[in-house]
Amino acid sequence: MSAHATENNNEEYIPETYIPEPELHGTAELWKIFWVLLIITVVDFIIYFAMGASMVRNIIFIVLGLVKAFFIVGTFMHLKYERMFLILAIVLPALAFIGMLVFGLLHEGNALSNH
Amino acid sequence: MSSNTVVTDSKPTWAGGRSPFNVSYGKLMMWIFLLSDAFTFSSLLVGYGAIRFSYSGDPVTPWPDPALVFNHFPFAHGIHLPLLFVSVMTFILIFSSVTMVLAVEAGHRKDNKAVAKYMLYTIVGGAAFLGCQAWEWSQFIGEGARLNENWFGFTSAAAEKAESLKLFDHVHWDRATDRTPGPVPFASLFFIVTGFHGFHVLSGVVLNIIIYINVIFGTYERRGHYEMVEKVGLYWHFVDLVWVFVFTFYYLI
Repeated sequence: MSAHATENNNEEYIPETYIPEPELHGTAELWKIFWVLLIITVVDFIIYFAMGASMVRNIIFIVLGLVKAFFIVGTFMHLKYERMFLILAIVLPALAFIGMLVFGLLHEGNALSNH
Repeated sequence: MSSNTVVTDSKPTWAGGRSPFNVSYGKLMMWIFLLSDAFTFSSLLVGYGAIRFSYSGDPVTPWPDPALVFNHFPFAHGIHLPLLFVSVMTFILIFSSVTMVLAVEAGHRKDNKAVAKYMLYTIVGGAAFLGCQAWEWSQFIGEGARLNENWFGFTSAAAEKAESLKLFDHVHWDRATDRTPGPVPFASLFFIVTGFHGFHVLSGVVLNIIIYINVIFGTYERRGHYEMVEKVGLYWHFVDLVWVFVFTFYYLI
């Protein structure tokens, strides 16, 4: 008996063995995202040597890092094709808790200074 | 049959009898594990940020400039090449992420040979990354970095020399006259965070090898689906994701 139950046949739904039928998206988008990630990394490299160290440069690097994270999680980890509930269940706790840590760092960081 | 199909599809999402997220149990658990791992890494990176910030404006032990520390490249000994080697490492990890996602895609098509090929490429990429990291660590340790010791402080004469340093310049620091002890957390946090990430990569390579052996023995072909490849794929992409931020906060900033 196949354990490969899909939503569209009338096998009973068993949570532990349920595997949805995979969707096919092709490889064109995957290669496109590879080039996007590579180009962003090259842009990081160019900015590193073209600009002197400054807060503006740091913010550019962090924004480019978040863009890379968006493409890795969305396309490579397939999250953007998942159900909205799953997207929210992963993204909202991450934003809430990591956001809280970053906010704490930015707001209270001065208290840590030894000088 | 067809009427059953309609009934199954019209079931409410949260009323039971269907998967509300429409993913397998294992994949959902992998996502939740990765969420908790994201909290661990973000705590480490925020802690790093806080400690680094606490040294800003310190006249005695300023935070070392990463460009003066991580400026080595294999076979180019003594040449000032900041960021180049880690960029190569980043490229290796991004490329192994692409081969991983190609293995997952081949699994959706149930193409056993293609899955095996791309899994092997991913394992090679992961091993290459680990090799690069081992080389990077050995350089760092060779120049006097320890968990409780850091020799990346510069005397005022050496700091002047460092300011005029350009790309491709030959550089040699004399430990006795140029170096002073720098902030200890610079070295210890580097070892802890890149070590924790490297341990994740190592675990990922081991998991990939297990999955690869299963693929070449035809386990998933007999099972009828390649769900396991998708699960290790999620883990592998997460390792790449963490590296994006380690690269940003340790080397770029």
